[in-house]
Amino acid sequence: MTLILGLESSCDETAAALVTGERRILAHRLAGQEAAHRPFGGVVPEIAARAHVEMLTPLVAAALDDAGIALDAVDAIAATAGPGLIGGVMVGLVTGKALALATGKPLVAVNHLEGHALSPRLADPELGFPYMLLLVSGGHCQLLFVEGVGRYRRLATTIDDAAGEAFDKTAKLLGLGFPGGPAVEQAARAGDPRAVPLPRPLIGSQEPHFSFAGLKSAVLRARDAGLHRAEDIAASFQQAVVDCLIDRTRRALAVSPRATALVVAGGVAANGAVRSALQRLAQERDIPFSAPPLWLCTDNAAMIAWAGCERYREGLIDTLDAPARARWPLDPTAEKARGAGVKA
Amino acid sequence: MRTLAIETATAACSVALLDDDRVLADLHEVVGRGHAERLVPMISELPDGGRADRIVVDCGPGSFTGVRVGLAAARALGLAWGVPVHGYSSLALLAAAALDEAGAPDRVAAALIGGHGELFVQSFAASPFRPAGNLASLKPEEAAAATSEALVIGSGAQSLIDARRTGGARDILPRASDVRHLPAEFAALAATPIYGRAPDARPQA
Repeated sequence: MTLILGLESSCDETAAALVTGERRILAHRLAGQEAAHRPFGGVVPEIAARAHVEMLTPLVAAALDDAGIALDAVDAIAATAGPGLIGGVMVGLVTGKALALATGKPLVAVNHLEGHALSPRLADPELGFPYMLLLVSGGHCQLLFVEGVGRYRRLATTIDDAAGEAFDKTAKLLGLGFPGGPAVEQAARAGDPRAVPLPRPLIGSQEPHFSFAGLKSAVLRARDAGLHRAEDIAASFQQAVVDCLIDRTRRALAVSPRATALVVAGGVAANGAVRSALQRLAQERDIPFSAPPLWLCTDNAAMIAWAGCERYREGLIDTLDAPARARWPLDPTAEKARGAGVKA
Repeated sequence: MRTLAIETATAACSVALLDDDRVLADLHEVVGRGHAERLVPMISELPDGGRADRIVVDCGPGSFTGVRVGLAAARALGLAWGVPVHGYSSLALLAAAALDEAGAPDRVAAALIGGHGELFVQSFAASPFRPAGNLASLKPEEAAAATSEALVIGSGAQSLIDARRTGGARDILPRASDVRHLPAEFAALAATPIYGRAPDARPQA
């Protein structure tokens, strides 16, 4: 039995988890920082890094306690090595390296995006390669053709904001609170998705990519016009995002006949409207739809442990000088999308 | 009693293994920002992979990122080995080493480059070793006005002396093996960062 300890600290969640090769999550501990960042309306990197260094080692100890497992019993230590807020990434990666040194067990330096990309396989034993992945979070919005562990072809990315970023900014504009995703979704339940005419950037475009900056600006104009309830703006905004995601994903599936399933991962995959629209698209294409349970969509360490497990089983281990990386694309060969220099 | 010392609060990445006050091994590199990559490999190059009965680590003040890298490694090793982890102040380490030298003055000010053009500054006195003032983050001219010691040491020493126009500066970075100069109670702090400055963030209006 393979047993992996996973560590996550790349944004505003500090987490540790123990996961087996048989998909058993023996322990998962997570300390969120929402309260610390809420007064600032977004994640403050220095505040996040300060919290990670306080929390991570106690969470590792607690996870081992929960599982009743000694550190020496793990086969490898998997830690997020990027991409993300570099101060936090360093805390998690160095913690993982020190644990690996002390135990003599290998280090697996995990790409946080690969953690999301493989997380559906932790939840769904039936999910094999290759699959079409919509990776949609606060920092990313990409369509990836997943051929295997470590083998990703990026078909589309955002040319400006990530979808989750658009949710956060919309929540801020409408005064709905932080974090923005759940706040907008909740407000949208009480609103009419057809009430406010909002643009659907790039829908129908021959270009494969996403764009959400114009949508955010339209939300600002709608708010300032003073003609609409916040709930109606939230619902119309959410519908516009769903329409964009579905149009782009449909296009990617049309050019990827080998995809055996449609998969969604990342924080925005926790959004109910996004999930059900993707499920309908999968039905329309007659392929299975797979989405991790909600708690596995947002940042967590179980997905890092699982990605570590998948990599460890393929012999993909790392040395103790593995770099902490603020940017780390899953498909480094992907053509640069216009405007996407930073987030691609 | 074996002690592993971890020093990453400045541009130096420095580790040492000591047996009581005797230095068994000492590795010191100026890495700038590369602590997350170099620190653990350097510890692994020490005898027995740095294995010790206790760990002491620089808690700052200094580079916020560097301090966190050192603490993350120290705490993780402490957990894995089941040994205690304690902290010390970067400025106290510099001062204790300087005051222990033959012919040293009986007081010294330590100054490290901080953020926003400020210096982390604190004065210390010898026999017995003790702080002679509080830690502060100050502009060089404020630091110059706040210190009277003729000798100023650390990465911020020169800019303090340039502002004060009297006294001598010694531009040195803290070194892990210098923990042997620290009296025990100065290497027994809680293993948690001494930032010396609040995060740069303002709440929304």
